[in-house]
Amino acid sequence: MRARSSLLLLLLPGLAFLLVGFLLPAVAMLFAPPGVTFPQVLERLGAMLTDPYDLGIIWRTVRIGLIVTALCVVLGFPIASLLARSQSRWAGVLLALAIFPLLLSNVVRTFGWLVVLGSNGVIGQLLTGLGIVEEAPQLLYTELAIVLGLTQLFLPLAVITCYSAVAQVDPGLDEAARGLGASRTRAFWSILVPLSLPGIVVAATLVFAGSVTAYTTPYLLGGSSQRMLSTQLFSYASVTVDWAAASATAIVMTVLVFLVSGISTLVGRKGATS
Amino acid sequence: MSQTVKQGASPAAGHGTSHGMRPRHPVAGTLAVAGYVVMIVPILFVVATAFTAGSTLRFPPEGLSLKWFGEAVAYTPFVEAVVSSLELAVLATGLALLLGVPVTLAIHRGRIPGKGLLEGLFLSPLVVPELVVGLALYQQLMIGLHLDNFTTLLLGHTALLLPYAVRVTGASLALTDPALEEAARGLGASPLRAFVTVTLPMLRPGLISAGLLGFVTSFNNVPLSLLLQTRDFRTLPVTMLDYVQQSYDPMVAAASTLVLAATVVVAVIAERTVGFAKIFGGINR
Repeated sequence: MRARSSLLLLLLPGLAFLLVGFLLPAVAMLFAPPGVTFPQVLERLGAMLTDPYDLGIIWRTVRIGLIVTALCVVLGFPIASLLARSQSRWAGVLLALAIFPLLLSNVVRTFGWLVVLGSNGVIGQLLTGLGIVEEAPQLLYTELAIVLGLTQLFLPLAVITCYSAVAQVDPGLDEAARGLGASRTRAFWSILVPLSLPGIVVAATLVFAGSVTAYTTPYLLGGSSQRMLSTQLFSYASVTVDWAAASATAIVMTVLVFLVSGISTLVGRKGATS
Repeated sequence: MSQTVKQGASPAAGHGTSHGMRPRHPVAGTLAVAGYVVMIVPILFVVATAFTAGSTLRFPPEGLSLKWFGEAVAYTPFVEAVVSSLELAVLATGLALLLGVPVTLAIHRGRIPGKGLLEGLFLSPLVVPELVVGLALYQQLMIGLHLDNFTTLLLGHTALLLPYAVRVTGASLALTDPALEEAARGLGASPLRAFVTVTLPMLRPGLISAGLLGFVTSFNNVPLSLLLQTRDFRTLPVTMLDYVQQSYDPMVAAASTLVLAATVVVAVIAERTVGFAKIFGGINR
């Protein structure tokens, strides 16, 4: 009996904070925003899913999420596999360099793109300086800017997730395949990629979930012309103070993330059993 | 191509003759370089523009000067925000560890049904979008219950860091042998004493990892903190974000460079204490 009460004593303070600081407000926000009833939230959600403007924002968010996910896997997996298989002492330094941005503020990292893509920025100056174009092209506040910013933001996550996946694949298998006459490319595609697939799926899920919920990047690089769900949610909550719309947007965003996590868990489980 | 075939034909030479980076597939190499460019180069441009003598974010900078650093450290909103962010990050990290470590102990050492469910519950703040949590706290606690914004921020940040505290210290605890505590108990130590003298020292790497991760996560947070700002208590990233949106001068580049320098210090501490890669290995299963 004493063991049970001391267990409760260990758990209760943490549980209390979790409930007050996260769970209860989150549930209450979805179902009962101030002065709005749940049917009104649902009604707003229905309107959102049929309105071309709102649908456009949802589709842009999903589209950007998918592109960024693809880019992070395509750029991140090669980095991870090269580093995991290298015996060079530089590999450790390069791995640290890839992880370091995770510690760095998103605002600082995204700000870099303002310097690169802005009207007086590096690319604009370069293009006009070389006489390639008359006037610097509008690169900021475009979907391209958001995609670049989010890829920079989530690539480190893709690299470390793929890295631990590749590191678990026995290097003897690559060498065996190579010894049997497979080319590097063939060994890569038929040994390394399939065996690291569970890790790649986890990386893709984390990147997608991060991209469709990120705020700083679409706010700074997308502006008001390239709204995503996150910037739209902020605008409903703090500019127009439309609680029903804010809750409806929050539901769309949360469902999107849960859906993708669910699919990825299913894929992962299938991969494990087959 | 011929080089690839030749290397493939002599696998035995693979290990023995590798000096530094072995020649790799050109496509993979190119993609990897592109990845590093995207990750690192924009940060370098931030540093370069911070030292400009001019007044725009132009590149190349118009002359060298430290004047924007002077402006940044003299700009009261930034200075106040640094203090606020530090205060919040230290308190939230401390609270999350204080609440999270007992939970980890209960999950790993106690005999309770539904352990997986309980752990899932404590990891759940990682799953819900932070902006959504921020909206919930703003609406329900600040507007609904009239809590002040510091209390709300502290509650929210602590809940957000609990998953780190539980999972990272849990990974550390899983590596320790419960028999050691039992031996201490058998020799007459009280449960508390056994914990403090036996378990806690073994948890050290996990505590440092969770502490560093938690501190950095809280200090840099935007989405959760965004809606919870007031004039009296504002965090640094949100203050910088607002400044960038209003004016387009290199002062934020200077402030960003200072944040970068501080982050390098944190990274060095992380590397010296538990190892950089290990810290981030813990949160991704």
